[in-house]
Amino acid sequence: MIFNTLAYFALFLLPAAILFRRVRPTVQPWICLAFGAGFFIFFSLTQVGGKAGAICLLIFIWESIFSRFYKQGSILCIIGIIQTLLFLIVFKYWNFLTGLLFKSTGHNPLAWSGAFLPLGISFFTFEFIHYAVDRYRGKTPAGRFSEYLAFILFFPTMVAGPIKRYQDFLPKLVNPSREWRLDWRQGITRILSGLAKKFVVADLLTAFTNHLNRADIAQAQRWVLPIWLFAYGMKIYFDFSAYSDIAIGSARLFGIKVPENFDWPYLRTNIAEFWKHWHMSLYRWLVDYVFIPLGGSRVNPSRVYLNILITMFLSGLWHGAGLNFIVWGLWHGTLLVIHRLWTAWREGSLMQFSKTSPTLGLWPLVATVSGDGVQTIPAILYSGTIRQSPSAPVTPAENSPRSTHESVTVGEISEPAEETVGASAPRKNRPPSLGGKLVSWALTFIMVNLGWAFFCMDLPTSLFFLRRLFFG
Amino acid sequence: MKTLQWFMTVCEYLGGSRDELPGAPGGQAGKHAGTTSQSMPWWLGLWWGLLLGAILLFCGQTSKFIYIDF
Repeated sequence: MIFNTLAYFALFLLPAAILFRRVRPTVQPWICLAFGAGFFIFFSLTQVGGKAGAICLLIFIWESIFSRFYKQGSILCIIGIIQTLLFLIVFKYWNFLTGLLFKSTGHNPLAWSGAFLPLGISFFTFEFIHYAVDRYRGKTPAGRFSEYLAFILFFPTMVAGPIKRYQDFLPKLVNPSREWRLDWRQGITRILSGLAKKFVVADLLTAFTNHLNRADIAQAQRWVLPIWLFAYGMKIYFDFSAYSDIAIGSARLFGIKVPENFDWPYLRTNIAEFWKHWHMSLYRWLVDYVFIPLGGSRVNPSRVYLNILITMFLSGLWHGAGLNFIVWGLWHGTLLVIHRLWTAWREGSLMQFSKTSPTLGLWPLVATVSGDGVQTIPAILYSGTIRQSPSAPVTPAENSPRSTHESVTVGEISEPAEETVGASAPRKNRPPSLGGKLVSWALTFIMVNLGWAFFCMDLPTSLFFLRRLFFG
Repeated sequence: MKTLQWFMTVCEYLGGSRDELPGAPGGQAGKHAGTTSQSMPWWLGLWWGLLLGAILLFCGQTSKFIYIDF
């Protein structure tokens, strides 16, 4: 709940945002951290974890104190990362991992019967790790103690993101926007539209998605199954983007712009583009703190494919302690690998083709990695390739401060621009045909939605669902 | 495609993720296009009213957000 409760608005958001605007700049971080602490305790007591959950506020305080000792190249940064991961493993994966360990015996003697998840642990873990890594690399300032606490306890983004970066957040905290009329107008519009998306669309779709259980799947007619699955795909989009809208709108009331999370992902025409526009703050985090440290795409191709699979495996595991989430991550990893293989293959085959066909000599220029307009059957079927035209409007993500650094992608998984794709000469884009675009879009949409089967049901149920869907 | 992009921009503006009201699809500037005026257009109040009405109408069925502590 949280964002769709009156308590959130009446007790936290409005008082905090108004006070934040009223007090002196030196006091502003303290407003953030005081309300953030109150928010964590209140919603832990009323919704998640109870008293034990509320005590987990000490994790924030401990992490903040410990982070004061982070320095460039210091081992303390590495210890900080390890302890952060340990918190996550203990709270989120204890029963899952020990369950796997004792699976053969059928009884888990190490099971934690009172297990609970501290509010937002899956998300604040990312921010702790980001800070430790970037301090280690010397890429972020230390900031004051109060500023760091305000960063990690900034309640609009505490529970489910968008995942912030300290170096982006700090200047906005120290010098928030003074255009309070515009900020409040836009912030309120964003919050209202988020609430409407949640209540009117996402919650309404529950009528369909509630049927995604073994008993209903067994009894349902086959043609109903894809409708339920697509309904889930829509529900999760509207639900999570609504949440992000409310979080971003809430932050805007403070005069602080936080990163965007969605940019029309379901309109994308290949899986790499989908991931560039779905849960964008997570995607960028995975690229910066998992994919690139693994070697990114600067290593040999087979290793790149492995890096993609590892990254998406971890993404799946992070989404939930269950085998179904791991399969979901690997499903997307596999799609991204196929996309990359296809892109490379098509580039190569076109180069070859153009050598033997003088009339098509310009094709290598036209058939870019974004490969638009290549009208072979496989190209139409898989335009892992079609990108927006140069005249396309700048998206919020591209507009963000990090965009200069993260221009590329995870099927090409994103990396600093200089290291990627364009080993060859600059290429020209040819506008894709509408038919090609539609087929590419439909294929991407179907593949992404098939993946949701693993996300929304446990593994045996999702396999049963797919078996019924394809074989009756 | 231009119309689609224009439509998406209008949705973004109505959703509060874009500060500027887009111009017409063909590139012709709208009345408020390109402005980030501090004043509130009259119809924005109407839009808020519509959203609020929809929220009040449907809030009884609300459920937990999927991405919280899944």
